[in-house]
Amino acid sequence: MRKLIAFFQRFRVFLFFALLQIISLSVYITFLAFPRFQYLTTANSVTGQIYSWENDLTKHFNLSAENTKLQEENIALRAQLPKSLMKLSNNTVKIKDSLYKQQYEYIAGEVINSTVSNRNNYFTINIGEKHGVKRLMGVFSANGVVGVIHSTSSHFSVVKSVLTKDINIDVTIEPIGLFGLLKWDGKHPARGNIAGISNDLKIPRGSKVLTRGGSGIFPKGLLVGTVDAVYAIEGEAVWDVVINFSEEYRSLQRIYVVRNLMLEEQQKIEEGIPIDKEERQ
Amino acid sequence: MNVAIKIAIRFFLFWIMQVLVFNQLEFGFGIHLMIYPLFIMLLPFDTGIFTLLLLSFGLGILIDAFSNTFGLHTSALVMMAYFRPIIFNLFSQREGYDPLKEPSLFDMGTRWFIFVYGYLLLIHHFWFFLIEIFRFNEILMILQNTILSIIISFIVSLLILTLISKKSKFK
Repeated sequence: MRKLIAFFQRFRVFLFFALLQIISLSVYITFLAFPRFQYLTTANSVTGQIYSWENDLTKHFNLSAENTKLQEENIALRAQLPKSLMKLSNNTVKIKDSLYKQQYEYIAGEVINSTVSNRNNYFTINIGEKHGVKRLMGVFSANGVVGVIHSTSSHFSVVKSVLTKDINIDVTIEPIGLFGLLKWDGKHPARGNIAGISNDLKIPRGSKVLTRGGSGIFPKGLLVGTVDAVYAIEGEAVWDVVINFSEEYRSLQRIYVVRNLMLEEQQKIEEGIPIDKEERQ
Repeated sequence: MNVAIKIAIRFFLFWIMQVLVFNQLEFGFGIHLMIYPLFIMLLPFDTGIFTLLLLSFGLGILIDAFSNTFGLHTSALVMMAYFRPIIFNLFSQREGYDPLKEPSLFDMGTRWFIFVYGYLLLIHHFWFFLIEIFRFNEILMILQNTILSIIISFIVSLLILTLISKKSKFK
């Protein structure tokens, strides 16, 4: 017993150091997987409030560019309105259409804090549970995909952006229609990679990369970027596809959160897929 | 000025500057500008190791809470604080340190400061990028980020040091 106490006496500095180190590392590792301590992120109300004050000051710096972006989006949307389409035949009768049902709803928000130079970059946005935001909802902007909601509080949320290690959004390359997973190698905030594209098909430079919409997080066909280069990986039957993101994440401000009204239905029916143990790698 | 008050003010200033100014700067090339290690470096020579560890833990947690890194800055800063007495002993003069002096560029000389602060920054930055990236096949990226960030952080730290030190006192 005395030896044990002597041991603690002798190594008390190291033990204290190890304790602090274990606390911080375990917080870090659990956080990457699943957020548990709300007050340690920028989604908590104090830090969120400070960042929204800061954003109130700095957001006007990009105002004109931001306005042009919104204007362009408005023009594109306006072009689809019935008003701007010419009527080609007069003998149709308007009936209540039950062919289409609303599947996705969008919640508008603003990025109030972001980084792009870390290995894993998280954005804080100024909408939260009160506005209907939940964990694992998709986030996109006028120009492309932004990320997935990582954690929420009542007024703020943290977005796990496309610029993180394991973002894995499922995308397709048009017009070929190949499926792959979006990755980011941490080097440049304007370039990403797609994994899992088999190398028996040619991919033309400049082909569009869109979301596949398979997991129900994003609607189908949202722009992600364009193919910049395709490299062969030695010893593997897949291409290393490098893409240019269509969104400039360094100056991102306005975003939309996707709420899928039929997500539960999709998840329920997909639960029935039997899991083959050998397939799970 | 009372030492405790001075340290409290510096704690607050370094935290605010890191979170609201330096975290918002983007350099590219994986450079991450971190100036808060300078706070731990500038604590008086007779600061106990437990105080050092606790202060670095507190500052780290506060910075983490504001930059969505969840414990990464804390871990790196605690690591650096643990090594501070060890590095200081390695570079001590024969008669030891004068507790009235400050471990800064102007009190201890350029050579001493460059080596001691350089080693401490190396420990801090290397640990930071090692934990953040945490993949063996990206070791080149860890090294590149570490080296580039150290250069920028060191230069900015020197600028801050000239701003906050009362140089005229020692002329």
